[in-house]
Amino acid sequence: MIKYSHVKQISWVIFFSAFVVIILAGIGFLIITNVLFLGFSDFMYYLQKPRTWINIATTIWTASIATILSMSTGIPVGYMLARYKFPCQKFMDTLIDLPVMVPPAAVGIFLLGLFKTFPVNSVTSILGIKVDHALSGVIVAQFTVTVSFCIRLTMASFETISPRYEYVGRSLGASLPYTFFKISLPLAKNSLIVALIIVWARACAEWESLMLFVGGIQGRTDVMPFAVYLDFVGGKLGWALTTSMFCVLIAIVSMYAVHRIGGKTHVR
Amino acid sequence: MSFTKKYEGMGYCISEMRDGMACSARINFCRNGGNPIKTMPQIKHFSWLIILFFAVVFLSLTLTGCGRKEKRLLFHAGAGQRSSLDEIAQVFQQRYPDVKVDFSYKGSGYFLADVTLSQEGDLYMPGEEYYLLQAAGREFIADYNPETDIAAYFLPVIITPEGNPQNVRSVSDFAKPGIRVGLGDPKACAIGIWHEKIFQKASVLEKVKKNTTMEAKCIPELGNACQLKAIDATIVWATTAVLYLKDIEIIPIEPEYRELVGLPVAVLKFSQYPEEAKKLKEFILFDEGKDIFHNHAYCIDPAKIEEDMKWLVEACRVSKDASIPVSEQTVGHLVKEVKRSRETKR
Amino acid sequence: MSGSRWFVYVLYAITILFIVSVCWLFLSNIGYTDTQSVLELFSRPWFWKSVKLSLLTSCVTTIIAIVVGIPASYALSRFNIPGKTIIDVLFASVIVLPASTIGLCLMVAFQYEPILKIQQALGIRIVHSMPSIIIAQLVLALAFGIKAWRAAFDDVNPRYEHVARSLGSSRMRTFWKVTLPSAKVGILAGIVLAWTRAMAEFGAVLLFSSTFRNRHETQFSHISKFLGIDRADILPVGMWMEIEGGNIEQGIAIGFVLVIITLLSVYALNKISGKGLQTNKI
Repeated sequence: MIKYSHVKQISWVIFFSAFVVIILAGIGFLIITNVLFLGFSDFMYYLQKPRTWINIATTIWTASIATILSMSTGIPVGYMLARYKFPCQKFMDTLIDLPVMVPPAAVGIFLLGLFKTFPVNSVTSILGIKVDHALSGVIVAQFTVTVSFCIRLTMASFETISPRYEYVGRSLGASLPYTFFKISLPLAKNSLIVALIIVWARACAEWESLMLFVGGIQGRTDVMPFAVYLDFVGGKLGWALTTSMFCVLIAIVSMYAVHRIGGKTHVR
Repeated sequence: MSFTKKYEGMGYCISEMRDGMACSARINFCRNGGNPIKTMPQIKHFSWLIILFFAVVFLSLTLTGCGRKEKRLLFHAGAGQRSSLDEIAQVFQQRYPDVKVDFSYKGSGYFLADVTLSQEGDLYMPGEEYYLLQAAGREFIADYNPETDIAAYFLPVIITPEGNPQNVRSVSDFAKPGIRVGLGDPKACAIGIWHEKIFQKASVLEKVKKNTTMEAKCIPELGNACQLKAIDATIVWATTAVLYLKDIEIIPIEPEYRELVGLPVAVLKFSQYPEEAKKLKEFILFDEGKDIFHNHAYCIDPAKIEEDMKWLVEACRVSKDASIPVSEQTVGHLVKEVKRSRETKR
Repeated sequence: MSGSRWFVYVLYAITILFIVSVCWLFLSNIGYTDTQSVLELFSRPWFWKSVKLSLLTSCVTTIIAIVVGIPASYALSRFNIPGKTIIDVLFASVIVLPASTIGLCLMVAFQYEPILKIQQALGIRIVHSMPSIIIAQLVLALAFGIKAWRAAFDDVNPRYEHVARSLGSSRMRTFWKVTLPSAKVGILAGIVLAWTRAMAEFGAVLLFSSTFRNRHETQFSHISKFLGIDRADILPVGMWMEIEGGNIEQGIAIGFVLVIITLLSVYALNKISGKGLQTNKI
């Protein structure tokens, strides 16, 4: 016997879930039409070309280096911001959020100007690093875009750890570096690994700043998202679709890893 | 030095400890026999991190640019030349294995800003001499001779999506109300200049502008839009048209509006390896390069324009019909292109 | 305790260095643009139309995102929908998709044969038109918004809702009067986040709805002309076009305009939520 209250409850759930289904349908529509358009045999054909794999390899290792640099800046700064109080906190919060929200295209332009003015251009010319039209520019751009994101993530992860554990450690005689490495980091380990994966996936997907900063050199600086753009405006639709399917695959795999690892820290 | 600026003092946490709250620090110290003073030396942990950091930085520096032994040429080329230049670079690299060629493909009009800012590049091949003269005006060109340095000729053709839904057969059909035309931005891509010239000659420029739904930054965008049926008709070079043989129709332009457009190539002043750049330029200008260009539907001999046109239309027809064999007799010099277009669905 | 002191100094140094670098990133480019080109830029009608277009499309996108996203995030947060893992993973992965992929996928999806026939039957054409900007911005704005709103709803203790229900309130009333006000801070933060992301969208719009600047006047509907947004591009695309075309000073000026707009919205975000981006929950 169906009670009226049951009906109301179920219709309530269905009403809200309908929106989820709408959005899911939208995303599914995008991905499925592309997969159908490309066709499995075409996908395999393009995957066999060495150029696809060179793009993927370049993306993965530049993103990895950018992630390592990002995390090595992000963890200290996140720890500082989570534990200590700075003057003009609001200003600094705004400043740190800024590179995440500013359009990546604008960040690319500003990087270009940054590397052409003093003091950075003298530093790069002394060290002999070439940033324009070279892979080091790719890494710099990926680093810039992800570092603020990383700081926000690490700050949040350090904030979820109660500082009491550190106090106890300190009160028992440990020094600050010891507390940091032996207490805070292991406690935050899960969240930090989650942050690492998200930052890595974001670095893999960065291209707008690349476009304005290093230009797209085929064979030298084309990372995957850039290769999609270059192939699309170069007339090679099959290549572009294959590479973009790969991007989608990488995004889904990394987010699944985040879900599995970070699942233990969920509140609900 | 007190580090607890944000929270309360230490007494608070000692009382927590007394409340029996377990914590990993306590367990850690208990492992040491309960002796908190005798801890592991801190410098060991910190130094790992610093060593790792510098190793990463050093690794990235060496891998990304400072250790290359081979010579790399940077070739600025318009996006329309991509397919043919890729093949030329392959053959060139087989012949001279210590030279690698990297291409920077953009709409032809965008190179000026790039080269001005970066002061870098070995060779320059825009789709139209106009851009090269602009670069020459800014003194970027090392040597360029308008008489001899034309690699090949572009052949403009009309293309429409498969089936030609709006039945565009001539240049004046572009002015029909309601059809969607794609034009190039003259500041950005080479074909833009010729769009204006061709339509001006046919006196339909204003009406065609009213029909324009898309300005392209580089020529393959027009081909893409046609392939995806986003526009109804456009004019592109034949070499772009052969990229999409299966999905478009090729219609020749009337002879009175048709003009061959020369493709210039020049060496830039900032070249790091001028010898190798010159070698590449020679390769492009002489027979082997010319053959490769011809195979990609460029016109290398102005006298043979009609024949090239005919083979182009034939190739378009043959690539759609799987029953017709692909050979010299059926598609002339475009054998490779038709075979390539038959290999994949897209 | 000297190890601690050194440690704290190093941490302080890294933080200060980072803050200074961020400031310098933006300030070092002031030399590339001068007052004259800024004034020149402001006198161009195209620039003001672009600003209006950007603001308008961002607002429309945000409104659509609110209408669709808030109920969806409530459902994701409270109910156990079958396949929740897959849905979570899918929604989260949109954030790390490159914009060029999104633009390309949109373009191919809307030009796919059956969809194309639907469009032709309705007499509309989505690619290369003004509504396409909104669709391209919507994808990412929705993803960011749902992430923020879901975190906001997760923070609200469901017991409050149960208490209200047990006191006799209907479901709808509970939602409006209890849940939403409790989550108010998070929802507002999500709205600002989605709006800023929509403003900053560049890649997807570039590939999906090319540029409008040079199109003829008859291409634009009367509504566009009335609102003053014909023949304009959204700001990031406009900036890119200026710089590629060689007009670097004006391009950087547009970049600064974008930075100022973003600064204002980030400041608003921080004031509202006090925590900036809520990113610890996926």
